[in-house]
Amino acid sequence: MSVLGLDTITFRYPSASADALAGVTLDVEAGETCWLYGAPGAGASTLLMVAAGLAPRFTGGSLSGQVRILGVDPVEESTRHDLRGQVAWIGTASDIQFSQVAETVREEIAFGPANLGQPMSRIDAAVGEALERLGIGHLAHRSPAALSGGEQQRVVMASMLAMSPALWLLDEPDAALDSAGKEIMARVLREEAGRGSAVVIATGDADAMLGRAGRIVLLDRGTIAFDGPPRQLLADELAWSRGPGGTSVAELARAAARLNPDPRLMAPYPLDFDEAMARWKP
Amino acid sequence: MTLHPFTPFVLVGGVAALAFLLPPPVGPVALYGGVLIAALAAGMGGAAVAAGLVLLPLWGFLLLLHGILPGGDGYPAAVAQGARLGAVATASIMLLRGFKPSRFLDAASSRGWSLSAAYLIVSTLQAAPRLRARAASILEAQRARGLRAGGSPWARVRALVPLSLPLVLATLTEVDDRAMALEIRGFRSPGVTRTPLDPPPTTGRDRSLRWGTLILVLAASVWRFG
Amino acid sequence: MEAVSSPPLRMEQVRFRYPGAAAPVLHDLSFTAEAGEGVAIFGRNGAGKTTLLRLAMGLLRGAEGTIMLSGRTAADALPEDLAHLAGFLFQHPETQLFERTVAAEVAFGPRCLGWDAARIDSAVSDALQEAGLEAVRNDHPWDLPGPHRRLVALAAVIASSPPLLLLDEPTAGVDRATRARVRDVVRRRLEAGVAVVAVTHDGEFALEALDRGLMLDGGRIAADAPVAGLLGAPGTPALPASAAIARGLGLDLARPRFDAVVAGLASHWPICA
Repeated sequence: MSVLGLDTITFRYPSASADALAGVTLDVEAGETCWLYGAPGAGASTLLMVAAGLAPRFTGGSLSGQVRILGVDPVEESTRHDLRGQVAWIGTASDIQFSQVAETVREEIAFGPANLGQPMSRIDAAVGEALERLGIGHLAHRSPAALSGGEQQRVVMASMLAMSPALWLLDEPDAALDSAGKEIMARVLREEAGRGSAVVIATGDADAMLGRAGRIVLLDRGTIAFDGPPRQLLADELAWSRGPGGTSVAELARAAARLNPDPRLMAPYPLDFDEAMARWKP
Repeated sequence: MTLHPFTPFVLVGGVAALAFLLPPPVGPVALYGGVLIAALAAGMGGAAVAAGLVLLPLWGFLLLLHGILPGGDGYPAAVAQGARLGAVATASIMLLRGFKPSRFLDAASSRGWSLSAAYLIVSTLQAAPRLRARAASILEAQRARGLRAGGSPWARVRALVPLSLPLVLATLTEVDDRAMALEIRGFRSPGVTRTPLDPPPTTGRDRSLRWGTLILVLAASVWRFG
Repeated sequence: MEAVSSPPLRMEQVRFRYPGAAAPVLHDLSFTAEAGEGVAIFGRNGAGKTTLLRLAMGLLRGAEGTIMLSGRTAADALPEDLAHLAGFLFQHPETQLFERTVAAEVAFGPRCLGWDAARIDSAVSDALQEAGLEAVRNDHPWDLPGPHRRLVALAAVIASSPPLLLLDEPTAGVDRATRARVRDVVRRRLEAGVAVVAVTHDGEFALEALDRGLMLDGGRIAADAPVAGLLGAPGTPALPASAAIARGLGLDLARPRFDAVVAGLASHWPICA
């Protein structure tokens, strides 16, 4: 079942000289994880905002093409409210995403479900589960503003989780997190995909995708340059010619191959340490 | 003792009105006394102290103006003015300190009032600590680049630009991001009544406090102008 | 021409406790950063890393012990008095930008220091060139994407040519290309004889740009060694790919940076025709 459908999406910001997205067509199914990979300015953040129905509503600009979430148009005034609580959208700056009216983390997480008019019993259950899954039970009575960046990001994640969204849109969610935080977020997203949600993550960091499931969509100046398995893209020159490059290990191999075109160094490049050792240290 | 979120606003309004309606000097002094007793009873003695500290220089000035220097209205006038300021300041600080943003939103929502207006009030009151923290970090950054905040009045005015402009720009650019975040979290969904997280009931105590305040103000007006 | 006796940063037996705190954050901390030396400061949150930087810049007062910047005591100095001796890059420095153009923003520091117009112009051009920002010198800083605003803030800090740079997480949340530019700026400053002290969780940046690593634990220096030797240990950032590959292949490199490892990799096998 298609959760997110973008059909020939073209979007331009107000007074911009070029399209931010040009003819983008993308389908994400239930239970699927999709990585949006691209250099800054390639259009990943814009794509997420269009998918969430936030652009052009809050950004201005012109949009053509069709967006559908669970078959509903998130841009159209008459239908978008049917999707309330179904879309989670997480950016990098956590404290901007807080409601500003919650005195405790508990209240912050409950903000979304309360807005949706859910009964207290359901809200309590959802908040409790979110606190536990994100490992922030010990922060339940703390003020959200007093937390560290990593803790705040987890609270934002919990706040979205409490609404049980069908579609997750995340823009570089790892930036402020330490390795423990990254693990927790990866696990929660895996669980959500397992429960049938669709997950779309924008990242410019190839290493972040290692060991994680999903397909990769390469964005280059507003168009899709590749849509398929990550291994296929990241080990290939295409990641450099139309993207921000490959994993750290692949970068090493590629640079060495320029000095010595030994077949062990040429594409397809090894993606991580284990592959490199298997190939270079038999 | 928890009051309905709207009650403190009514009380502060009532104190402000009574401060000027009650006949000086006894009226304002009795009012100030009453506010102080209420503060102590509510466990907010700190608010009374804070108000007192803020007003200390003003009180000194009033004494000087009306009591010591020739041409003033005499000590009773100074006392009355001082008591007025004391009552209003103490009540206001009690309001700010006791303000619970979530309960205020719930109260507005359960009465069908505009959530947007309520949110505006709440987020403005909550914004102060964040703005202060951000202003402090901007000040540090500019000083570390060599900005001198002292010196001639003209130099001080010019120093305001690198201090205030970044604050304004940052706050403005955030507005859209915040609006988007609220939207995603279902704020103000039409046709949906927000579930109050901590439903503030209007108890008998609230009702009597509010009506009592209103009656007192009306009585004082009649007495004053009748 | 700094005399050897007045290094860009010297801290001796520094002890500091935040007002009202039960325990001191820094205990008898002593370390010196010499001209041209790049020092990475590692440690868990709360270990005192940022406190150390802030004390050096005069943003915190009340420390016991000696803190000297190029021979001048920092203990009771105001930050604006130390601005010509140290440049501080804050976390999220994007929020301090306010001028209408990038060039004007970068000129702010030298202007505050009272330099004459010609000297300011030349300093601004140099700084913009080092940070790779000449193309946007007339743009409004707030029109640039976040990572590029970070570069503007960095250019603004180096414009007044201070002999010491204090950087607080300079590569946090920034894309790979911008990280490379920050690394290049740091390398060039080190070559020019500036001392750089950076608090960082970015192991790759530490290895590529800096030489020496200090690990802080509970306000004390737990380790002081070349960066490569410290990375990968508990409490320090993970070992970057280049160092891991070098170790895995047995390449004997004291500083397993990207370029060195690439060269080592390429010569690991005979060159193919």
